[in-house]
Amino acid sequence: MTRSTLTLRTLVIGYVGLLVGLPLVFVFQQAFIHGLGAFWTAMRDQGMDHAIFLTALVALVAVPLNVIFGVGASLWIVRHPSRFTRVLDTIIDVPLAISPIIVGLVLELVYAQGGWFGSTLAKLGWQIMFSFPGIVMASIFVSLPLVSRQVIPLLRELGDHQEKTASTLGAGPIRIFFTITLRSITWATAYGVSLTLARVIGEYGAVLIVSGNIALVTQTLTLDIGANFDNFNTYQGFVGAVLLALTSIVLLLILGVARHRERKRNEYLA
Amino acid sequence: MSILLSGVTKYFGRDLVLDDVSDEVPQGSLTALLGPSGSGKSTLLRIIAGLEPLNKGHIELDGRDVTNVPARDRHIGFCFQDYAPFRQMTVFDNVAYGLKVQRVPKAQMRQEVDDLLHLVRLEAFADRYPRQLSGGQRQRMALARALAIKPDVLLLDEPFAALDAQVRGELRSWVRSLQRDLGVTTILVTHDQAEAMEIADRLVILNEGRIEQAGTPDVMYDKPANDFVQGFLGPITTLNGVACRPHDIELCQPGLGVSATVTDVVRLGFEVRVVVVDSENTSSWVQLTHDEAQRLNLVVGEHVSLRARMSAGVPA
Repeated sequence: MTRSTLTLRTLVIGYVGLLVGLPLVFVFQQAFIHGLGAFWTAMRDQGMDHAIFLTALVALVAVPLNVIFGVGASLWIVRHPSRFTRVLDTIIDVPLAISPIIVGLVLELVYAQGGWFGSTLAKLGWQIMFSFPGIVMASIFVSLPLVSRQVIPLLRELGDHQEKTASTLGAGPIRIFFTITLRSITWATAYGVSLTLARVIGEYGAVLIVSGNIALVTQTLTLDIGANFDNFNTYQGFVGAVLLALTSIVLLLILGVARHRERKRNEYLA
Repeated sequence: MSILLSGVTKYFGRDLVLDDVSDEVPQGSLTALLGPSGSGKSTLLRIIAGLEPLNKGHIELDGRDVTNVPARDRHIGFCFQDYAPFRQMTVFDNVAYGLKVQRVPKAQMRQEVDDLLHLVRLEAFADRYPRQLSGGQRQRMALARALAIKPDVLLLDEPFAALDAQVRGELRSWVRSLQRDLGVTTILVTHDQAEAMEIADRLVILNEGRIEQAGTPDVMYDKPANDFVQGFLGPITTLNGVACRPHDIELCQPGLGVSATVTDVVRLGFEVRVVVVDSENTSSWVQLTHDEAQRLNLVVGEHVSLRARMSAGVPA
């Protein structure tokens, strides 16, 4: 090994180690400091259980909606380009450019009771803010482009020749979508789903604002962790943090597989 | 099935890509749509397939107006230049696609696909994926897939362009004989005049969205309608200021023709090109066979006399 490779390796490992490795080790060490039994008991904490349940429920609603939206919007943007889709293509990226806190505040201004749209909804008896729908909305907003950003470039690269060929063979649009298009973008979509899921369960800022952060009611796992640290309930916080970290690690593994598959697939393009 | 195009006009935005194109493709023929890139030939092919809408004009198949019939109901086999293999499916499933759409019973479908794979000599590759095939094999797979629906018309967009020279030659004659055996009306798009002359029994030459001439290769080669067609179908040079084919010029006794001086002799195997300049310093070239060149044993700087061959009808 040459000296420069060695230097490079040391730098990279040191950088990642200090920024990611060390904190991660610390979190795990803190969470298991009292042994597995204590960890288990902490996990059974009522507040945390509810937070986990709520987070899972939010993900269960927000992720599929964003996948459907993401794939649909991608197809529209790539296959039926127009002036309108060019605007849409840009708008989809907006959530990545705005701070989540701002997203939360804007949603609150519009949908809270007394807000632009919220007062009308309130008259109908629907409460969006400080409740489940608001959390879902904020989650959808912050993760809006994550599926389409994966799918759009792939659709562009694939072109529409397979789809057009299928139509000359007598296939209708629905059959073409399921037998040709969807099968071609499966792994890109899976990659987008993992990113979306990671973003949804990890979101803090936007959800903090729109949920009202009410324990046992609108507190998601990230909010619960935050609350525990604020209340000097540090151990409980570390347990929550480990759960989030583990979920992320599992997602990362899935991501790795999806990317690998995608790369393999791309080698076959041409 | 015969194809009638009348007044087909197509714009891309403001660009006129097809300008009032009319033609009749006879049943069972193999027609080559020939033209330089950007002449609108691929667009015309897609319009016939129903993959692209047209702005004006109409299309009839055997007298039935299909102008507004979507591609899926036209019953036209179409092969893209890149063959558009269904990447996620095996060769078998690619070929079976159209039959599955038609809900052909399983046993019958299996039989038909096997027959087609045999026809295109891919029976050993049924379980492979397109990525595991060579270019020529993919092309044959795409052809089998298009033929599976027993199309009335077969449209091939630059079918040999992506292949290397040797495979291209083999596939050309194979496609030609396959087309004759099946008798399916076929149009293929190409920019290669030699390919078009070799394979087609009818040529349609497109240029800037308009048909320059249509007819049999022989007629068009010998009696081109205009300079464009003449230049496109084969090499041209000048003799005494008149455009003619380099193989229509012969070297003759001094005094009987135009005198000129040899400036270069290029040997290309069977063909030998003799480059000459006449007394007015206009350059021209003569195409000789290897044997003729050997007999004449021309060297650079030699004085020669040129005239049109008797058969060619070019004024000397």
